[in-house]
Amino acid sequence: MSKGLDGTNKRGILELGAEEKKGWDEVPQGVVLNSFDGSIDNTAFLKPEDREYSEFNSYIASVASWRVIKPVYNRDICIDCQNCWVWCPDTSIISRDKQMLGIDYDHCKGCGVCVEVCPTNPKSLLMFEEATNNDDALAGWPEKKKKAKK
Amino acid sequence: MAKEFELNEMEFWDGNYAASQALRQAQVDVVAAYPITPSTPIVENYGAYQANGYVDGEFVMVESEHGAMSGCVGAAASGGRVATATSSQGFALMTEVLYQASGMRLPIVLTVVNRALASPLNVRGDHSDMYLGRDSGWINLDAFNSQEAYDLTLCAFRVGEHLDVRLPVMVHQDGFTTSHKAQNVNPLQDEVAYKFVGDYVPVDDMLDFSRPVTHGAQTEEDWHYEHKAKQHKALMDSRKVIDEVLEDFKELTGREYKRVETYMMEDAEVAIIALGSSVETSIFAAKQIREEEGLKVGVIAPRCFRPFPFDLIRDAIDMSANLKAVVCMDRSAPGGAMGALFNEVSAAAYTTKNRPLITNYIYGLGGRDFGVEEAKRIMREQKAHADAGHITTEIQQFSGVRGPRLGFFTTRRD
Amino acid sequence: MTDIRWHSRAGQGAVTGAKGLGDVLATTGKYAQGYALYGSAKRGAAMNAYNRIADEPIINHETNMFPDFVLVIDPALAFSDDITKNDKSTTKYIITTHLTKDELISQIPALQDKADRVFVLDCIEISLNTIGRAIPNAPMLGALVKVSNMFELDFFLDGMKKVLSKFPQKIIDGNMAAITRAYNEVN
Repeated sequence: MSKGLDGTNKRGILELGAEEKKGWDEVPQGVVLNSFDGSIDNTAFLKPEDREYSEFNSYIASVASWRVIKPVYNRDICIDCQNCWVWCPDTSIISRDKQMLGIDYDHCKGCGVCVEVCPTNPKSLLMFEEATNNDDALAGWPEKKKKAKK
Repeated sequence: MAKEFELNEMEFWDGNYAASQALRQAQVDVVAAYPITPSTPIVENYGAYQANGYVDGEFVMVESEHGAMSGCVGAAASGGRVATATSSQGFALMTEVLYQASGMRLPIVLTVVNRALASPLNVRGDHSDMYLGRDSGWINLDAFNSQEAYDLTLCAFRVGEHLDVRLPVMVHQDGFTTSHKAQNVNPLQDEVAYKFVGDYVPVDDMLDFSRPVTHGAQTEEDWHYEHKAKQHKALMDSRKVIDEVLEDFKELTGREYKRVETYMMEDAEVAIIALGSSVETSIFAAKQIREEEGLKVGVIAPRCFRPFPFDLIRDAIDMSANLKAVVCMDRSAPGGAMGALFNEVSAAAYTTKNRPLITNYIYGLGGRDFGVEEAKRIMREQKAHADAGHITTEIQQFSGVRGPRLGFFTTRRD
Repeated sequence: MTDIRWHSRAGQGAVTGAKGLGDVLATTGKYAQGYALYGSAKRGAAMNAYNRIADEPIINHETNMFPDFVLVIDPALAFSDDITKNDKSTTKYIITTHLTKDELISQIPALQDKADRVFVLDCIEISLNTIGRAIPNAPMLGALVKVSNMFELDFFLDGMKKVLSKFPQKIIDGNMAAITRAYNEVN
C-alpha cells in the first residue's frame, strides 16, 4: 500500500478519543474542522492514502476496537463486481481501478453488509470472529454450493 | 450592482421599514424568511427591494421559522452576509437553530420585533421572545425607537462580522410601539451606509473549495465544554468591539449609543431600569416628575442585553452617590421566578458601592399600554422605599393588571 | 406638543393619513409620530390612529393620549365610538357627516357643550367626487390644515404631492382636489 506525502500512511493511526485534548483557548472557532492540512492542490486526484488528512479527519482515527466480528476477503473467488464497495456504509472496502484490494480494518465496524451483497458462489466475503486468523479463515473457505435439484 | 435608493435627509419611517432599509443598505446576500406579525414588513420589504433591483441578494422562502433560521445557517456557513426577521411564536420555533448559529459562530443578523408568546394568542408587544433567546449565545442589541432600529441594525453587521467576534446578533424593537409607529428617521445615503458596514469577509466558508471544512461537528463530554467556554469568552469579549463600532457610528452620524444608556443618573436618588420603548416613556416621565415634584429620578437602560453589561450596570448604579432605590421593569411573564432583568441587575448591584434597594415590576404584558402616570407612580414608590430605608412593598409586583393587588416576597431588612 | 386621534374604520386610510401628515411634517423640521391601535380585526372594524407633533424629538410612547384634535372620518363612528374620550377643554373635533353641524350636535349628547369646538364636512362625498372612491383621509387632512392653521394650504399641497409621487397622476390630482375642497368646505 502506498504511503502519504510525508512517507507514512496515516490511516487509523490514532484510536478514536486518544487525540490530544486541547484547552478552550486552542480549539477551532465554531467547531469548524479542516479536512486537510495545508494545500489541497490536486487532492481530488490523489488516492486516500496519499492525501494530507488533518488530525480531525476520521481517516486518521481508528475505530477497529468497536468490531466484534469481521469480514474476511477471498481474492481467489472475487469477480470485482464492486457491489460491496457500493454498499459499504463506512467506505471500508478498498478498491483501486475497479479492482478489490481488501478491507479497511481501521474503519470497518463489522456490519456484514458486504457479505450480504456479495453475488459469488461461494461468497468472496464471509464474517468471522474478530480473533480468527485471516489465513485460517481462508484455509477453511466453503466449497461452491450446488443448486438443489428439483 | 444594485440600484441606489433615493432617500430624503429626514424620513418618516416605522421601525419595520427602518430595519428593512438597513438590511438593503448592508446588501445582505441571503434572507431566508417565514414572515410573522409584527415583523412581516421587514422581510416583505427586503423581497421588494430584491425584486426591484435595489439589493443584490437572494430571498429564500421556507416552510417555517425553523427552516428560515436553518436556511440562514446554511447560507452563512457557505460564506454570505445573511439576515432575517421574526417575532414571538416564530422566534420560539427558531430557538433550536439560534443555538446552532451561535455555536457555529455565524454572524447572522436577526431583527426581532418583540411580541408576546402564546397562550393566550396575542400579536402585540412584550419581551417574552427576547427573554426566550437570552441564553442562546447571540449578541442582543435593543432599539427604543425606529431611528435606533435602523442605526443598530447597521451596527449589528459590523459587530457580528468583526473577526474578533464572529457571532450572530439580534436587534430588538418593540412590536407595534416601535415596529408600526412612524417617526422621524435620519437615514444614511446608500453609499455611506455600505461603507460603514463594509464588505463581508468570509471565514471558514464552505464555498472555499481550496480549503474544505466540516461545519456542525458532534462533540461529546471530551470536547463540548471547551468549545462552549471559547464561545462564551468570545461573547464576553465582544463588549470591546461593540464599544468600538458604536464609537465609529457616533463619529459618522453624531448619534451616540452605549452598551448601557444612562439618563439623569448623575444626581439620581431613585432609578428605573427598563428595555425597549418604555425606556423613552420613562425618561419622559422622569423629566416631568423632576420638574413637577422635584423627585430626582434617573433612567438606566441596557442597550446591549447580551453580553449582559455587568460592568456598565455597576457603573450606572454607582454614578450617583445618592442612589437609594432602583426598580427593574420586566415586560415578560416571569414563569415562576423574579423577572430576568431584576435578577441580573441585582446580581450586578450586589458588588456596587451603593447597593441600592431593588424591586421588580412585571408590566405591559401582551401590549398593555405603559403610560406616563404609571411610570410616575412607580417612581414615587421608589422614593418611599428610599425614605423608609427598606422596601415598603412586595419585592415583585405586577403593574397595570386588573384585579386585586398582586405581589410576592417582602424584605428581611429594616 | 399637538396630539391627534383619528377615528376610522380599517381600510378607510386613517393610518395612511396619519403617516402622510407625518411625512409632510418631517420635511418641515418638526417631529412627529404616526401610529395606530391595531387589533386582529379586519377591514370595516372601528380603529384608532394617532399623531403626535412637536418641535423636538418625541419620546413618549404611551398609546393613550389627551388629544388636541379628534378626526372622525367615518360618519357612523361619531355615534358609536367614544369620540370625546380624554377630552380637554380645548380639544377640537372634525367630523365627517352629511348633516349640518347643528343637526349633528343635537343628536350626540357628548358634543352638546362643545359646539364651538366642533367642525364638520362630508369627507365621504368629497372623496367620491374627487378621487372616485370613499377614501376620506385626504379630505380630512385638508380640513385639519384649515382648522389647525398648521400649514399654508399651498405648502401642504406641495408636500402631499411629494408623498404621493409614486402614484398615477390621476390619483395625485384627485387627492389635491379633495384636500382643497375640504379646506374650503369645513365649517
